[in-house]
Amino acid sequence: MTALWQLSARQLARLVQSGEVSARELARTFLDRVDRLDPALRAFVDHRGERALADADAVDAALARGEPVGPLAGVPVAWKDNLVRRGEVTSAGSRMLASYRSPFTATALQRLEAAGAVLLGRTNMDEFGMGSSTENSAHGPTRNPWQPDCVPGGSSGGSAAAVAADLCPLAVGSDTGGSVRQPAALCGVVGLKPSYGRVSRSGLIAYASSLDCVGVLARTVDDAALWLRCTAGSDPGDPTSAAEALPEFAVEARPDLRGLRIGLPWELNGPGLADEIEAVLADARAQLRTLGAELVECSLPHVSVAVPTYYLLAMAEAASNLARYDGVRYGFRGAASGSCEAMTTASRSSGFGAEVQRRLLLGTFALSCGYQDEYYGKATQARERLREDFRRAFAGCDLLVSPTSPVPAFPLGSRIDDPLAMYLCDALTVPASLAGLPALSQPCGRTAAGLPVGLQWMAPPRREDLLLQAAHVFERHTDHHLPRALP
Amino acid sequence: MATPPVIDRNLLRHLAELARLHVPADRQEALLQQVQRVVEAFDAVRDLPPASAPAPAPALSAAPLRPDQPEAPLPLAEVLANAPVAAGGMFVVPRVVEG
Repeated sequence: MTALWQLSARQLARLVQSGEVSARELARTFLDRVDRLDPALRAFVDHRGERALADADAVDAALARGEPVGPLAGVPVAWKDNLVRRGEVTSAGSRMLASYRSPFTATALQRLEAAGAVLLGRTNMDEFGMGSSTENSAHGPTRNPWQPDCVPGGSSGGSAAAVAADLCPLAVGSDTGGSVRQPAALCGVVGLKPSYGRVSRSGLIAYASSLDCVGVLARTVDDAALWLRCTAGSDPGDPTSAAEALPEFAVEARPDLRGLRIGLPWELNGPGLADEIEAVLADARAQLRTLGAELVECSLPHVSVAVPTYYLLAMAEAASNLARYDGVRYGFRGAASGSCEAMTTASRSSGFGAEVQRRLLLGTFALSCGYQDEYYGKATQARERLREDFRRAFAGCDLLVSPTSPVPAFPLGSRIDDPLAMYLCDALTVPASLAGLPALSQPCGRTAAGLPVGLQWMAPPRREDLLLQAAHVFERHTDHHLPRALP
Repeated sequence: MATPPVIDRNLLRHLAELARLHVPADRQEALLQQVQRVVEAFDAVRDLPPASAPAPAPALSAAPLRPDQPEAPLPLAEVLANAPVAAGGMFVVPRVVEG
């Protein structure tokens, strides 16, 4: 018999809607797993316990009164520690915000609750989203459920580990340069980064505003589509949110991939890949052909400068966005005597961790007099050329695929002192981020050591429908998403 | 091909001052090496040939405008609830005016 924790979000919602299972029973089931498994994983930084059970009771009471409940009725959902919820602590993985309580709730979380979801707790992350391993957290590192000596990826590593360990069927993340897709790949789950602007950023603690996207970690492609349906849409709280509505589409509409031309950008499908990743991806490409897709080679020439372009822009935006942490209005205040400036410097030097400080210095460098035109200015030009590369590529194909990460999950501590090696973990995900494209990672095989490997799909702007339908075909005809990390 | 700039202690100190950060003496050498490596790795963008046309304005500036209407502000108690130090309905900061 299949246990409740093994079911998808859609299946769980149906059980609640039909009255076969109560929302409280679901919340209790997943909270029990959190209590049992999370002390070793540390995917959560906090769970809502009794408050989550009370919210579940409210869903059950609404059902008992015959009131309509949403498509996520009673489904426990975790969220990354950088989306605020009114009255509750949101730390963004930082000492700076260790006791910060927001006066409002992020739009994405509001919409999930309106759809009937029960918010279970906050998940761990690299501080302010700056990292690819979830080791840069004031709460300590999260471990990979498949191999506890390895990282879960990052920065949404807590959300990815929580879903991979079946501590919740859905977990919200955020993706600036791959922070949903890369941990999804390393933990063997589905990670969806919607188009820039598809889901409101209101209430998402800012890292790099022209790149930040709210995304989701899920067990199945269908659940990611369900999450998107519940959260997408324009929002006055985020002027960059898209006015264009998500089109109606059925994720299971395609029987196979016939009629689709799938591009293989050679810059993302060969150079720098670990041998094991290359071997798994070769099998995945063969499977795509078997499913009827026409695979065509293509090129994205400016991928060669995508990593420096991404980091220069993200660090520059971070240097501006994080200027607000001055130790006056909210956040940590360091001990200093004398001027306001000394107090601000003391607050930031003690409140931010090493990687955040490094990025703020580099972002300040990229924006400073004498270097701005050569670094930040050139990076904005490179970004536009990469967008043009994608426009040309999509003129000849419907979707693009590549590995999600050049390496599988790596041992804890093995890259933490080498920032450049860590930045290269994002080499395959930052191009879609720079172009604002929807992209998704799904499990497509394993290394000899049993570590998951992710297949990344990229679609033209606002074509989440095509992205999810194609990924759903692959999932339906393979079994890479079925193994569970923990009993 | 352009030569990457050298990040020396003076430049690091200047950047830290601009970013309102203090880099302790015992961390400076390691940080200098890390920052130098990153700057060298990022130098490839400087070699991009000049664009024939200026880069378009970022997406943020193309965002739709909203009506210029005042909204109810947050209650003062909520604004001050997260302040590290508050008194008399105000944020408390070190004295900036003598007298």
